[in-house]
Amino acid sequence: MTILNDKVTLNTAPAVIDEIGSAWVVHNPRFGPEGTHFHTYGLLTPYFRGLTEGKLRATRCINPGCPVGNGNGDLWLPPRADCPDCHQPMVWQEIDNPRGYVYAFTHVARGGTGLEIDCPYYQIDVKIEGVGTILKSYLVDRQPIKIGDRVRARFHTGADATHTCLDLYWELDA
Amino acid sequence: MITFAPGNLRIPRWTRPVYMVAAGLTDFRKRYPEKKLEELCMMAFRMLLEENDLKRDPLDVKGHINFACYGEFADHFQDQLLCEAKVHDYLGLDLLPNVGIKTGGATGGSTMLVGATTIASGMSDCTLVLGWERMDEVKTWTGNYYIASAACKDFETRLARNYASYYAPMARRFQEMYGVDERVRAEIAVKNRGYACSSPFAQQAGHHTVDEVLSGEIVSDPLRFLECCAMSVGSAAALLCSEELAFELSDNPVRLFIAGGSHTLRTGDRRPMRIPLLPHETEEGYRWLYDEMQKHDGRWPGFESFGAARFAAYLAYGMAGIQNPIEDLDLVETHDAFTISDLQTYGDVGLAPYGREQDYVTSGECYLKNPRTGQQGKCPANLSGGLLGTMHAVGATGIFQCGEVLWQLQGKYDKFHGDPALWSRYGRQKPADWQSLQVKDPRRGLAISHAGVGSHVTCAVLEKGW
Repeated sequence: MTILNDKVTLNTAPAVIDEIGSAWVVHNPRFGPEGTHFHTYGLLTPYFRGLTEGKLRATRCINPGCPVGNGNGDLWLPPRADCPDCHQPMVWQEIDNPRGYVYAFTHVARGGTGLEIDCPYYQIDVKIEGVGTILKSYLVDRQPIKIGDRVRARFHTGADATHTCLDLYWELDA
Repeated sequence: MITFAPGNLRIPRWTRPVYMVAAGLTDFRKRYPEKKLEELCMMAFRMLLEENDLKRDPLDVKGHINFACYGEFADHFQDQLLCEAKVHDYLGLDLLPNVGIKTGGATGGSTMLVGATTIASGMSDCTLVLGWERMDEVKTWTGNYYIASAACKDFETRLARNYASYYAPMARRFQEMYGVDERVRAEIAVKNRGYACSSPFAQQAGHHTVDEVLSGEIVSDPLRFLECCAMSVGSAAALLCSEELAFELSDNPVRLFIAGGSHTLRTGDRRPMRIPLLPHETEEGYRWLYDEMQKHDGRWPGFESFGAARFAAYLAYGMAGIQNPIEDLDLVETHDAFTISDLQTYGDVGLAPYGREQDYVTSGECYLKNPRTGQQGKCPANLSGGLLGTMHAVGATGIFQCGEVLWQLQGKYDKFHGDPALWSRYGRQKPADWQSLQVKDPRRGLAISHAGVGSHVTCAVLEKGW
């Protein structure tokens, strides 16, 4: 894990993953090995796999018959496999060098039992360039922030990867 | 952009009217080891049958019940699935049918909604609606872990595991976009916790000051400790009837209209749309707001408002014939789990225009006694003490709210809050400075039940039926 004194760190071990077909099935231990929940990422596996490779992948609808996207729908993050407007499968699109700004935020002084992010930290809602939705994530910097601050994406990759949404985080884009 | 087809906007038309005739509550506590869950439900059930001036003996009333709807938010807390069957048996209602209803924080409201449809459809002439929550089997921060299971598991739960941290960004955005003074949020906490001082049911009543709220410990910035509700234990019950039976059982039954709306769990997934207008609003009236939003990259409902609450109000007002809520309603119970959600709701239900919610609170019209005019406020809010002051035993909450509105409409606030014997029943002493919070001759009241950063919301209109 990243260890920098003034930066937010994680206090978790990488989640165990089974690869079943094209899907990642993540182990969520509850009551030891016999009491583990095996949770599939299903068709969203390319998103979580992408994070561990330093890639941010979104989905969009390209169905010309879609009443909302008309063949050129907005990017969705979090991604979803099927379009809610026309029910057709969406396609993946990687976002190069993802940047955005802080749309909303809170400073989390304390989280509930099992929180894997070391408090305090900023939970941020990021408006990413080119994306229609607003993505909830966290900021690695601890200095005071405000709505509108520019941020850029960073990733926990390789041996640092947790295989969860925590693999995406953001840093202030000076 | 979400758009509706005309069919989506149909106003519900029930086959026959629905009435509420009685309510029952327990007191509410953070921990309640003195009683098992079923025993608490029996307390609420007995109050419902025995203390609502019904014109039949309690067991005769029970003999009319055809159906039961039970509300419980989370099985996790008690480690008990099918608790509905245990409660149903304990209340002596076997072999009548029952169903369990779950929609997060709006569970109580949704249970009222489902119960109402059993009457409206003719499935039942008399339906028991009863809800509960027992959140004291685990420590508070594990309770927060459970509640945060009501955030998106794949993309959001791991980002806080504390539900205040999902409301707090909405508070931040709302505050900055609409220039909200945090003292207004604090004022809501002071008001509702203050009203709770008149309630024998209340869990965390207190006479606080704005400065005290603002100097409190931060739970999730900008929300402070006194701006958040607490873990709670208790039960609430309501009795719903057909028109004929309602007047047979009661001299003052209350007509009930209730509808719901829903919106995706992840706030950031809420795509921009035009504001669905209530009868007293116009597109032109919101031109300034759309212009303002453009300056801030804003969107409706965005992080500032609850689309589900607006949709529920649109349907319920259509059912009840509400043309202008501030004129047509005499009191409201909002789902003030956090001060910010109380504030946001005034715009959603049309008591104030969107963007002017703060002005509505400072106008004083949400007080029983408007501090500006000294007169009764136009639509006093959360005279029950609300979730901040009195309770949020989640599955019971929406039922508790309807019960408090029922008693207000029946002119029974004092009976259910001012009787020293009721205070002593719960091991409490009626305060020497107790004040009646009875609204003068109310005709209609509103109750808003609300879940998961606005994922499910019900809007109930209760109207004097006699």
